[in-house]
Order: sequence, then structure tokens, then C-alpha cells
Amino acid sequence: MDTRSLWDPWQEMRRLQGQMEQLFTDSVPTWRWPLTGQYPPLNITRSDTGITLEALCPGVDRGSLDVQVVGDTVTLRGEHKPEPDAPEEHYYRRERPIGSFTRTLGLGEAVNADQTQATYTGGILRVQLARSPEATPKKIPVKS
Amino acid sequence: MATMTTTATPKDQRDKTASRAPGPRDPRDTADRAPRAIPPRVDIYETEKIYVLLADMPGVLPDGLDVVAERDELVIRGRVERPARTPDYQEFELANYYRAFTLTDDLDTDGITARLSDGVLRVEIPKSARTVLKKIPVRME
Repeated sequence: MDTRSLWDPWQEMRRLQGQMEQLFTDSVPTWRWPLTGQYPPLNITRSDTGITLEALCPGVDRGSLDVQVVGDTVTLRGEHKPEPDAPEEHYYRRERPIGSFTRTLGLGEAVNADQTQATYTGGILRVQLARSPEATPKKIPVKS
Repeated sequence: MATMTTTATPKDQRDKTASRAPGPRDPRDTADRAPRAIPPRVDIYETEKIYVLLADMPGVLPDGLDVVAERDELVIRGRVERPARTPDYQEFELANYYRAFTLTDDLDTDGITARLSDGVLRVEIPKSARTVLKKIPVRME
């Protein structure tokens, strides 16, 4: 199994920020989450045959969801649409994100765009990317 | 999509989360599940006849959702399942959800409905008949 991780110098900073936010959100309600920076948050799991990408984005308008794969780059797009029957002045509390988002991710290896599958269940977008044949790990027998 | 109906009546939308520090108080929060509970982000708005509460609860299974209205409190709980494998690169971790709200007595006690769709819980709380805005026509003489 390929355990290589994506090298990202900002990952630790984001993790620290996440932990700080968690520290506060455990005791008080969260503030409104702006759709800027790194949204949606992603988890990536690699296997011998492919890469699974999970994006946490509940309540996205399904028609706006768009997943594009070009070479080794994946782009996710979507939109949190406002409630149709709720003008701004009728809100008592607004913490959920609103608006459009785009997130592009470089995977560092080529994937087979034709075999990419995406599902959206329970507010989590899952993209199953198949490795291209040349990027599939090959086991090398070690001769004694 | 899961649909459920509660029978009690909500009364107010004041958020009680701050006074009830969420934690692993739910007996279902065991070591092999998500170990803690976080308050979901919510929107609350009103229309002419109802209050609507929307809560982001991604990863909650339809049978892992509890919406309970009892006396002056509305409690929402969601249980998530941990992934079988820790991701190689991780920006989020699923956790159980817990949040409580105080209800006032100007709401319809029998009509609360709740629905879970695409990770968003939608709770609709009807206003009681006496608090629904009634427009009085003014007769000109």
C-alpha cells in the first residue's frame, strides 16, 4: 500500500487552526463559516488502485456540484444556495456557509479521468480516482 | 432521506449550547466511535407560520439522528461512524453532534417535523395559532 502523503507546508498550520477552532466550538456555538480559503475541507486516502477524496460540504445544491479531472489536478465546485423563502431580516441565527466554492488540488500523480466516479451522500462528496496504468505501483520481487 | 415527526412543542429559539458544554455525555459515545460531540452549525429563521432550524450534520446516518422536544427544550443529536481507515491526508474528522435549544410557549406543540437531506437537518416548528400574524382590515368611514 502506498503510504506516501501529500506534502503541504500549510497542513500543520491548518490542523493547528482547526484544533483552535474546535477548542472554542466545543464550548460556544460557531461563527458563520465564510467560503474563503480552503473550503471544503478534504480527506485523502490512497490505495494501490486509486485515490479516494472526501469533501465535507453539507447542503450543496446538487445541480451546482462539478468535479473536473485534468492530468493530476482535481477541481471541485459547488454552491450553497440561500433558502428561497427567507429574507435576510427573518434570520435569528446564521452560522452555515453560503455562496459558491472552488477548490483545486494537485495529486502529484496522473489519474485516469475516464474512470473517475463521484457520489454525494450525507453531505460528503466522495470522488474515487483511478490511478493511470503508469502510476500504478508495481511490486518488485527482491532476489536473495 | 429520512423523515420523522416529533410530538412535543417548541417554544423559543434561544440557544442553550453555551450553557451545556457538549461532550461525550451521550452513552453511545464509546471509544470505538467518534469520541466527542460538537455543536452543529445552524441557521434559524421564521416565516409567517413557522420557525425553521437548519443544522449541518454531515456524515450522520439516518438511523443515528435524534430530534427530541421535551418541555421547554429541543435537543438534536447525530451519530456518525468512524471511517475504517485513517486518511493519509486529513483536514476534517467526523464527530457526533449535540445541540440544545430553549423553546418558548408560543409554538404549536404537536406539529414539529424533521427531515435529513444531504447532511442537513431541517426542523420545522409551527407557531401556535394565537401567535400567527393576523392582519386586521381597517374599514374606512
